[in-house]
Amino acid sequence: MTDKVTINRLPTGVPGLDEVLGGGLPEFSFNLIAGPPGCGKTTLAHQMMFALATPQRPALYLTVLGEPSLKMLRYQQQFDFFDSSRLNHSVRFVNLSDDALTGDLSAVLRRIVAEVEKHNPALVFIDSFRSVVLAGETEGNPHNNLQHFMQELAMLMTSWHATTFLIGEYFTETDANPVFTVADGLIWLRQAVQRNSMVRKLEIMKMRGQSTLAGLHSFRMTTAGIQVFAQAGAVIAKNGEPSAELAGERLQMGVPKLDAMLGGGLPRGHSMLVAGPSGSGKSILAGAFLAEGARCGETGVIVVFEQRPGSSRNRQIDGLIKSGQVGLVNTDADDISIDEVLHLLLKEIRRLKASRVVIDSLSGFELKLAPTFRDDFRESMLRMVLTLVGEGVTVLMTSELEDRYTDLRFSPYGTAFLTDAIIVQRYIEVESRLQRVMAVVKVRASNHSNELREYSIHEDGIHIGDMLPAQEGLLGGRPTQRKIVKARSPAPKADGAKPARTVSRRE
Amino acid sequence: MESPKSRRLTVTLERVVAGGAHVTQVADAIVVTWRDIDIAISPILGQQGLAALYRRSLYLCRAAHPWLAANLEGGDTRMDLTELKAVLTSQDSATAAAGGGAHLQALYELLGSLIGPSLTEQMLRSAWENSFGGPPAQDLST
Repeated sequence: MTDKVTINRLPTGVPGLDEVLGGGLPEFSFNLIAGPPGCGKTTLAHQMMFALATPQRPALYLTVLGEPSLKMLRYQQQFDFFDSSRLNHSVRFVNLSDDALTGDLSAVLRRIVAEVEKHNPALVFIDSFRSVVLAGETEGNPHNNLQHFMQELAMLMTSWHATTFLIGEYFTETDANPVFTVADGLIWLRQAVQRNSMVRKLEIMKMRGQSTLAGLHSFRMTTAGIQVFAQAGAVIAKNGEPSAELAGERLQMGVPKLDAMLGGGLPRGHSMLVAGPSGSGKSILAGAFLAEGARCGETGVIVVFEQRPGSSRNRQIDGLIKSGQVGLVNTDADDISIDEVLHLLLKEIRRLKASRVVIDSLSGFELKLAPTFRDDFRESMLRMVLTLVGEGVTVLMTSELEDRYTDLRFSPYGTAFLTDAIIVQRYIEVESRLQRVMAVVKVRASNHSNELREYSIHEDGIHIGDMLPAQEGLLGGRPTQRKIVKARSPAPKADGAKPARTVSRRE
Repeated sequence: MESPKSRRLTVTLERVVAGGAHVTQVADAIVVTWRDIDIAISPILGQQGLAALYRRSLYLCRAAHPWLAANLEGGDTRMDLTELKAVLTSQDSATAAAGGGAHLQALYELLGSLIGPSLTEQMLRSAWENSFGGPPAQDLST
C-alpha cells in the first residue's frame, strides 16, 4: 500500500485531447486555456464542461468581461455537445461583469468565493480571465495585485475540490506572467495562417504531475466540437511490432509474377512505394493488392485523394468497399494534416482489424495538405509510415512520378527512403507505341529480381511479361535495339577462327 | 414569433382583469414577474444584459402600446421597475394588463430569437412558474 495521493484523471470528452494530455485532466488542477481571439478557447471549455459536468459534479461557468453571455450562449448552442436542458442543473452560468467593472480584484474574488460556496461546483470556468486581469490593472501596481489574486484563487479552488479553468486571450507565452506561473496546466491554442489556409493547433505547454505529448497537435472544429489529432510519432500503437511468427510471412500482391520479382511476395509489415507516371497502373496494382488480401480473408483500408467524391476508383475496389472487406477513408476536408489522416486511418484499421493499407496517392495527399504542413511533409510521412507499420499493417503507397528520362528518380518528394520496398513503373517507346515496364528497385532485407519487365493492363488486371533483352536504354524512355555485330576478325590463325564478339551499339 | 408559453402570460393577465382586479394588482403582478425574471436572468446575463433586453422589448411593443414606452427616450439604460409600475398604474386595468403582458411576451420572444426557445424556456422556467404556473388567475384579484 502506498501513502502517496492518487490523482484522478478526468476524461475531457474532447476526442484526442486525453491522449495529448497524457491520460486526461488531473482532478482539482488549476488550468489556463490561452490563445488569440477566435482560436476556440471558449468552445474547448464548453465541450469539456458538458462532458464532465453531472448533477453530482456540477460546473459553474463564470463569465466576466469580453464576449457577452448572451452571444456566447447563442453561438455555443450551435455545437452538438451543448445541452440546454442541463442549464441550472449540472451546468450553471453566472455573470460577474458588474463586479469586474469595478476594477477591484478583491471584490471579484469575494464574488467568486460567494458563488463557489453557494453552488459547490466541482468544475469552475472563468471566461475571460484576461478581462479580470485587465480590469485589475487599472488599479495600479498590477503585478503584486494579480499575483496575490492568482494565489488566493488557486488555493481557494483546490481547497474547494474544484477543477478550474481560466480562459484568456494571451498572445505570447514567453511573458513572465503570474498566471502562467501559478497554473498547473497551460493549454495553448493557436491558428497558423499561410496563404489562403488556416490551421488550428494545440500545445500542452505545462501539465503538472503527468507526462504530456510534446509539440503542436492540429485540431479541427466542426459542429460536433473540437477533435484533436495528436502528432503521428506520438501515437505509436500499443501492439507495436508484428508478432515474430508473422514477421517472416510474405503477402501476395495479386499480380502474377510480381511476387516472384519481389523474392516471394511483400514481407508482412513492410511499406511499399509504387512510383510511376500517370496511367501506368499504380492504382490498379494497389487494387490488386487489396483484392488479394480479401481473397485470403484479410481486410484492408484505402485512403484516396485524387478521385472526385462519388466517382468510381475501379470496380474491383468499389466492390470490396461495398462488401465491407475494404474500408474507405474519406478526405473531403480542406487544409488537412497528416496527423488527421493518420487518425482516420487508424480508426478504420482498428474497426476492420485491417492488415493491408493503401494510400493512393502521396501526390494527391500533398496537394490536400494545408501549406503549413507541406514543409514538413517528409518528416511527417516518416512518422506516419512508422506508426502504420507499428500498428502491424502492410502499407502500399502510390506516387506520381513525372517522366523525366534524364534522371532516374522514384519519388518527387525524396520519400523513397521511407519505404521498405519500391516498385517503379515507366513508359517506353518501342516501334511507335507506348509500352510499360516495371522493376523492383528495393525490398529491404530480401533478395529480389533486378529485371525490367514489360507489362500490360487488361480488363482482368496487370499482366507482367518478359524482359526486353533485345532493347537497351529502357529507362531513358527511348530504347534502342541491341544489335549483334561481329567484331572485325583478326587475321586467321592457324588454330582456327575466334568466335564473334557480341557488342551493342546505338543505332 | 409567438409561442404558447409567451401567450400564456397575456391570457393569465386577461383573466386577472376579467376577475375584476384593480390596476394596482395588475401592475404588482407584472412587476413581480419582472423581479422573478431579474432573479433568473441577471446571474447569467448580468444586470446590464437584462436591462438591454428589457428596453429592447419595450421598443418592440411601443407601436401597439405607445404609452408604455413613453420613458424610452430618456436614455436611462437601467431596468427601472418603479417607473414601470407608475406607468402601468396610470392606465386602467385592461390597458395595463394588455401593455404589461405584451412587454413580457416581447421579452420572452426576443430571448427566444437570440438563444433559442429551449434555452429560453430553461432560463425563464422559474419566473414563469412563479407568476403564471401557480394559482388560478382569479385568485389574484381576491
